[in-house]
Order: sequence, then structure tokens, then C-alpha cells
Amino acid sequence: MENNQTIPQAQEQKRSFSQWYQKYYKHMLILPVILLIFSFIYLGSFTAKNGDIIYKDISLTGGTTITVFDKTANIDEIKQSLIAQFPDISLRTVTDIRTGEQKAFFVESQSKVNELKSALELKLGYELTSENSSVEFSGESLSTGFYKQLRTALLLAFVLMAIVVFIIFRTPIPSGAVILSAFADIIMTLAVIDLLGFHLSTAGIIALLMLIGYSVDTDILLTSRLLKSSDGSLNQRLFGAFKTGMTMTLTSIASIAVGLFIIYNLSEVLKQMFTIILIGLGFDIFNTWITNASILKWYMEAKHKQ
Amino acid sequence: MVYGGKAQTMKFPMRLWILWFFIIISIISIINISASQKLLIFTLLMGGLIFVNFIQSTKKSILTIFFVLILATWLAVSSIESGILVASIEQTDKLLEQGLRQGEIITAVNGQPVSMPEEYYNLVAAAFTTNESKRFDLTTKTNDYTILTNRTPEITVKEISKTKIKTGLDISGGARALVQPTEQITEQELQDLISVSRERLNVFGLADVQLRGVSDLEGNRFMLVEVAGATPSDLESLISEQGKFEARVGNITAFTGGNKDITHVFRNDATQSAVYPAEPISSGSYVSRFTFTITLSPEAAQRHADITRDIAIDPSSGGQYLSENLTLILDDKIVDELRISTGLRGQVTSQISIQGSGAGATAEQAVADARNSMNKLQTVLISGSLPFELTIVKLDTISPALGSQFNYSILLAGSISLLAVSIIILVRYRKLKISLSLLLISFSEILIILGIASIIKWNLDLPSIAGILATIGTGVDQQIVIVDESRLGRETSIKQRMKRAIFVVMSAYFTAFVSLLPLFKAGAGLFKGFAITTLIGITAGVFITRPAFAELIKRIEE
Repeated sequence: MENNQTIPQAQEQKRSFSQWYQKYYKHMLILPVILLIFSFIYLGSFTAKNGDIIYKDISLTGGTTITVFDKTANIDEIKQSLIAQFPDISLRTVTDIRTGEQKAFFVESQSKVNELKSALELKLGYELTSENSSVEFSGESLSTGFYKQLRTALLLAFVLMAIVVFIIFRTPIPSGAVILSAFADIIMTLAVIDLLGFHLSTAGIIALLMLIGYSVDTDILLTSRLLKSSDGSLNQRLFGAFKTGMTMTLTSIASIAVGLFIIYNLSEVLKQMFTIILIGLGFDIFNTWITNASILKWYMEAKHKQ
Repeated sequence: MVYGGKAQTMKFPMRLWILWFFIIISIISIINISASQKLLIFTLLMGGLIFVNFIQSTKKSILTIFFVLILATWLAVSSIESGILVASIEQTDKLLEQGLRQGEIITAVNGQPVSMPEEYYNLVAAAFTTNESKRFDLTTKTNDYTILTNRTPEITVKEISKTKIKTGLDISGGARALVQPTEQITEQELQDLISVSRERLNVFGLADVQLRGVSDLEGNRFMLVEVAGATPSDLESLISEQGKFEARVGNITAFTGGNKDITHVFRNDATQSAVYPAEPISSGSYVSRFTFTITLSPEAAQRHADITRDIAIDPSSGGQYLSENLTLILDDKIVDELRISTGLRGQVTSQISIQGSGAGATAEQAVADARNSMNKLQTVLISGSLPFELTIVKLDTISPALGSQFNYSILLAGSISLLAVSIIILVRYRKLKISLSLLLISFSEILIILGIASIIKWNLDLPSIAGILATIGTGVDQQIVIVDESRLGRETSIKQRMKRAIFVVMSAYFTAFVSLLPLFKAGAGLFKGFAITTLIGITAGVFITRPAFAELIKRIEE
């Protein structure tokens, strides 16, 4: 009996939502516009203050990372004694996912390998060899070069994606909506990364590039359902696409979140990539189902009236 | 071809055949077995399935498939090569002279079969308990070696890996250096640099080194040097020091390094090359000298004679030596100054003794340093100098200590992620078959990526693994599109709906494809791993696994 009552109730809810949506879908576009403007202002002032649109880690500025497989060293203590000599030094620990014990720690600084290594050896009281440590060094000009090239790669990837989207849909407004929504994803994600004070690595920029692929998926689904299908009304198709798209994004979020949790204290590279993709996927829900959906619906309604 | 219906033949549609084919190919590419065994397993698995298609009863088909799978698994497991691999061998070891080389597979030591590195080390330790010379037999797959020695063979061994999957330096450890000439060079010059460097590393005794020329988006050219596993301590100086060797008398160059002036360098001959015991020079400081003979080319010997002819005799030496020394200079630093004996004046001598020294806090360290310096000097005398001055712009030496933890965590992350995804799918569709199909397809996608990576010998580094995870993520997305298209809008035929799903899948594929292209060049190709695995994954997805999944869903929904 209960079932019989809830079904009409659900249908009733659906209908009233549909009516509400029909009335206000254009107004909803204000949200992404505000958010986008806010992101732009924030990124602009960030750039003015810091000289660049992001904080860069040493893989983009050049410098040294030393990972020491020491289970007992106290990183706060080490930091205290090295900070005078290396003002930009940062330390973190690596822990075992199974036991939660410290496995290693790593030290980062823009200084040269030998300076950092010998200061660290002095503090630790033993020699750092390839058995008990890993050393990564990137020269300054190479890293700055990498940064420039990855920026170009990101831009190029975006432009190529945009061209393909235009070729697929062949109509300017729906294609533009897909591209705008992908663009908004990246800009909003960048703003949040800066807000959180993330220092981006090369891998972080690659994660932004991955975001292009992830965000365009749902937009293409939405656009093709609305443009190319004739099953049911426009709203029905939109809600159907929403259900599919949300399942897609939620599975992605679930799998990335699991990955992030497991890898959290093990790999800085994967940790940053997964975090950025998670933030991006969150914005993708917003931009696909508000930005892109509203523009597309507006476009379809206008075309229908003509 | 008759599909479905009452006729029970050809139950397996084309798309699933293709998937099955690629899964088998991937599996046999991943496991480390011989080619004939691969063929056997391939035939068994493909043949078994063809056979199943002609069986009328379902019960018998399932039994046959079960039997074939068990047999194939048993075959694969039993034919994985056991034995141990020679990982490295010292320059001075007698077994090297006998012809033993890195990469050979040891099967027995002194007649006793070995299959694990520990067994090898135990047998060797047992054989050399005393200092007497004795016979030592080593049997490998290709050869038998017998030596008479009192020294433990200086070789390291490792277990043969069960799979052909190779992980990158950032996981399994090793060293990677990006070396850039200080001046702009052409592609041809870069190739020259690589071949000289390769020879130098070989002469020095580092065999497992990969050298490659790379360029980036800005047109810079680099030499990429990669060493898997351990990091050789001399790598840095070997790849970046130019090794410009010069022997001068006064201000005139008598001869330089390389095979134009030096035709032979004595290395393993105890009468012609030696490191002497260290002597203390002050408290806590020892010096050890080394000497070795080189043979000059006739031209260089003549030049040497012409230069020395006009040099006066040094009276303070009692007429024993000339007043000018033979100065050995390496990269603008003086290695040693040798006195020239009066008897050599104006003589065309083709054999010249080269000397130098090593120092250390203990006698042992001094000898080791001298041995090392000698090896380096011999190396540059043989291989000549590098054509350019170089700087190391990137040097990573990664310890393998975290490797196993990485592998464990990545596997764990992958499996739990897939599990989480299939639970969401189960909750959404409430059909176990759909969840299982999705799991099966995602799993076969991973297999295919790993299979292709094994075939093209791609080292899976962290970006590559991120790429695999990304592929599975987008793969699942596309499978959801397929399921939903098959269930939504019953007015149109399933064929049309599938066509629409394929449209979305293909569009997503092309956008992802083009967005990955710029990564191939950016950053000297160091981030290519991500692009490569993702490209393999999404391409395999669109052409192999997605069509198979659509087929499965069509059958489930019908």
C-alpha cells in the first residue's frame, strides 16, 4: 500500500520540479556567471600579488627533493634546524597505509642538491646513499621550460578539444556551451587550488589536462541527448541525461576518492592529481547541469519557437 | 551466420570474439613464457571457444569452458620460466673472460640445480669457505662455465620476473638524468654525443643503461640517461664530464684520448696495469698509486719522439730525466706529471706507461679510489672525449625502497575503486548482471593496457598509472552511457539507441584523444607516460571493449 502512495507522490514532486525548472532555468545561469566572475577576480588578484596564476612547486621552479627512508626522524625538529639555512624548506612524512607508521620523510627546497644533502646529513648524523634515500634534482631553466611547455600543452589541448567539439555538433551555440562549461571547470578549479594554497607540480598541470577529458564527457552526453534524440519532451530528455551523467560523475568521484585515500601519504604526485580531479569533478556537476544545460535548453526553446 | 534463436551454434557474437582474442593476446604478452608456449596457450583458448560454439547443450559448453580455462591456467603457471638471471658481472671476474654475460639464466651451481637467488648465494658461500683455489662450475641455459679460482665470483643475480610488466624509475628505483649541451646542437650532433656516451658507459662497465635523444616544445635537445634498479655512484661524472684527455710535453700536445692516438689500453693484464698498496702520507690520509700501459698509434709515437728530441736533459736529476715533464690533463685538470727518462729522448716508443693516484681516509678507501680513477681514466682514453661540454639539468636517483609499497597500494586502490564503482552501478540498476559485465569489461581493459605496454616495452611510471586509472574512469562513464541508452526511450529500436550511445562514446573518444597529443612533446617527453597509457586505454576501449559491452548489455536487456 505504501508503494502505491509514494509513486504518485514522487511523480507529483517531479512534475512540480519540472514546472519550477521550466520557469527558472534561465535565472539559474546567474550562479555560474557569479562564480566565474569571482574566480576571474580572485585569479587576477592572485596573479598580481604572486606574479603567476598558481603557486609552483620545485618541479616547476627547479630545486631539490630528498626522500629519506627514516622511520624515527622527527621532521619538526629537522625543519627547525634547517630553516635558517633554507628559508623555503618544506618537509612531510610518508606513512604506511596498513600500519600508519612513518616510512620515510621528504625534504624540498629550491637549493642545490649538495647544499641540502650535506646539511641534512649533518643533522641526521649519517650518510645519505642510494640505499637509504632518493634524490630528485631539476635545474631552474629546465623546470621553467617545463612549466611554459605544459602551459602551452594545456592551452593546445583545450583548443584541439574545442575544434573537435565544433566538428561533432556543427552548431555554434551548443558547441560553445560545451566548451564554456569545460573552460569554467578549469578556471573554477584553478581558483580553488589557489585558495587552498596548493603548490602545483608538473603532475598537477597534467591533472588539469585530464579534467578536460572528464568534463567534456558529460557535456557531450547532455548535448547529444538534447540535440540528436527525439524520445520524450525536452525536459524528459534533460532529466534522463541528468540521471546518466550524475551516475557517470558519481562513479568517477567514488573511484578517485578511494584512490586518493589510499595513496594520500605515499605519493605526492598521485595525491595532487587525484585532489585536482576531485575538485574538478565537483565543478563539472555544477557546470554541466547548470551552465551547459541552461544554455542548451534556452537555445532549444528559442529554436522551437521560430 | 545465424544469431541466437533456437539454433545453438555461433552463440558467441563477433564483438565478444574480438574481446576474447585481445584478452588472450594480452595475457600471453604479460606473462613471461617462451614463444612456443604462448602459441600453445593461445591455440588452446581460441580453439576451446570455437569448439564450444558447436556444442549443443549449455551444460556441456560450460564444462568445456571450465576445463579449457583450468588447462590453460595450469599450462601458463607451469611454463613460467624459473631460474635466476645474471644481473651484473664485474669487469675483473674470471667468468667474464670465460664468456659469461649479463642476462644469462643460471640453472645450476657445481652441478646442483638452482631456481632462487638465495639458493645461488648459499651454494656459492658454501663453495668458498677456504682460501684455496678450486674448481667452480656454473651452468646456464646456453653454456657451461668452469673456472679455477679462490675468489667468490663477483656477479649479482636476481630472480626472473614472472611478468613482462616493467615499472618506471619512480616506482622501482633507478637513476634518470637529463643532460644538455651548453651550446645549441643539431640532431646529428646529438646522435654522435649519444654514441660516444654509450661507448664510454659500456667501457666503464655499465651495461644496463638506456640512452636516448629527446627534444621539447622549445626545440631544446637533451640526452636522456636512464638506469633501472640501483644507481651507479659514478653516473654523474661519467655522463657529464667531457673527458678531454691530453698528454703534454711543455706546451705541446703529444697525444690525446680516443682511438686515433691510442690503439690499445691494457686493463686486465696484471703485468701491464696495477694498483699499488696504499701508503700513509699523514695521519688519517692514505694515497695509492696506479699504473697502466697504453699503446700509441705510429703517428702519435712519432709526434712524441719529435717533441722530446729537442728537450734538454735536467742536470739536477743526474742526467736521468729530461727537463720537461709529460703532463696528463683531464678536463683541464692535471692528473699527473710524469718524468721522461733520458733514454726516451727522440725515440719512437709505442708503449707508454700512464700513472695516477687515489686518496682516502683509510688504506682500503685509497685503493678503491685509485682503482676507480684508473677505470675512469682508461675509459676516457679508450672512448675519447665527448664532443660537447655538458650540464646535468635534471638528475633523479630513486631508491627502490618504496617500490613494493607502491605496487601494493596501487593494486589496492584499483580494486577498491572498481568495487566501489560496481556497487554504485548495482544500486542504480539493481541488476547484478550489469555490474558484473561492467567489472569484467573494466578488468579486461586493464589487462589490454598492460598487455600492450608489455609488448611495446613501456615502463609504467606514476603518470602512466594515473593514465590507466583515468582510462578506467572514462571507460566506466561510457559504459553507463551505453546501459542508459539501451534502457531509455523505448520508442526507438535498440539498434538506433546503441548507435546514439556509440556517437557519444566516439565523440568523447576524439576529444580525449586530441587533448592528449600536446603531451607527447612537452617537457622533453617526460610526461608521455600518461598520454601513452591513456591513448592505449581509450583506443582499446572504443574499438574492443565498448562494442563487446554493448553486445553484453543488448543481450541482458533483450
